[in-house]
Amino acid sequence: MKRIRAILGLMIPLIILYIVYTGSFNLFELILGIITAIVVGYLFGDVVVEKTSKVLDPVRWFWLVIYAVFYFTVIEAKAHWEVLKLIFNPSGIKPAIVRVPYNVSTDYALTTIANSITNTPGTITVDVDEKRKYLYVHWIKAVDVSDKVAKENISALFEKYAHKIFD
Amino acid sequence: MMSEIINMLVFYIGLILVFLGGILDLLAAIGMNRFKNFYLRLHAATIGAIGGGFYPLIGLGLISLTLDWMGTNRFYVAGISFTTAFFLVLTAPVGSHALAQGTHKSRIVEPEPIVVDRLREDEEKGLIEK
Repeated sequence: MKRIRAILGLMIPLIILYIVYTGSFNLFELILGIITAIVVGYLFGDVVVEKTSKVLDPVRWFWLVIYAVFYFTVIEAKAHWEVLKLIFNPSGIKPAIVRVPYNVSTDYALTTIANSITNTPGTITVDVDEKRKYLYVHWIKAVDVSDKVAKENISALFEKYAHKIFD
Repeated sequence: MMSEIINMLVFYIGLILVFLGGILDLLAAIGMNRFKNFYLRLHAATIGAIGGGFYPLIGLGLISLTLDWMGTNRFYVAGISFTTAFFLVLTAPVGSHALAQGTHKSRIVEPEPIVVDRLREDEEKGLIEK
């Protein structure tokens, strides 16, 4: 039963992805997508899906959508604007590699935080220390190099949503 | 009537996104030249990937959704645009991570100028392996 739910948890996103990708609703495409998704889900379901109750939880999907919309409008726009200002005024840069503590348990949440940090211009994840739970982030305009203030400025918001979505 | 207005709105939002992407790509290229250090240039490259890659693809998908003369082909174009944008967001940071980490570990480029380098400090203290 657990295995079937793990397969379903990988299958449904894959079928949605396939239908969006092909952009057609033929019976042929649908059946091909379902067969491919079943094969992939059977092979990789229990590797990709750790906890089946999380994948089929609509609240987590809701927060994922909210986060995606918020991230790609507000956060990205702000970060782009900051770096664009620096391009025309390079004397304003103040680069530093700061230590950012994180407090999530799953790999998915950690990946979400690291990718969100790198995808905003101005901050890049350089390294991760999974034992002591630190991310090392290259920050182009470091207002403060202490761990706590760096976290508030860089990843506090990402962590809040990653906790809601994946933890 | 209502659907025509929405169609037009979506079309112009798409156009704006594509146009914005072109400008951001140009500015990222300028930044690439003006920043004098490898790590700083990575930030300009992020602008090129997200601002100059993700947003134009979303805009392209929105534009093609509104073009009625394309028939069902418009879903095909829009679907490919959206999935490409999705995978771009997932995979673009992986390259940046690998470049930054590899460069820092191998010491090919010194991250100069720099205010503080916590990673180097912790490596010298022996807290994380080199």
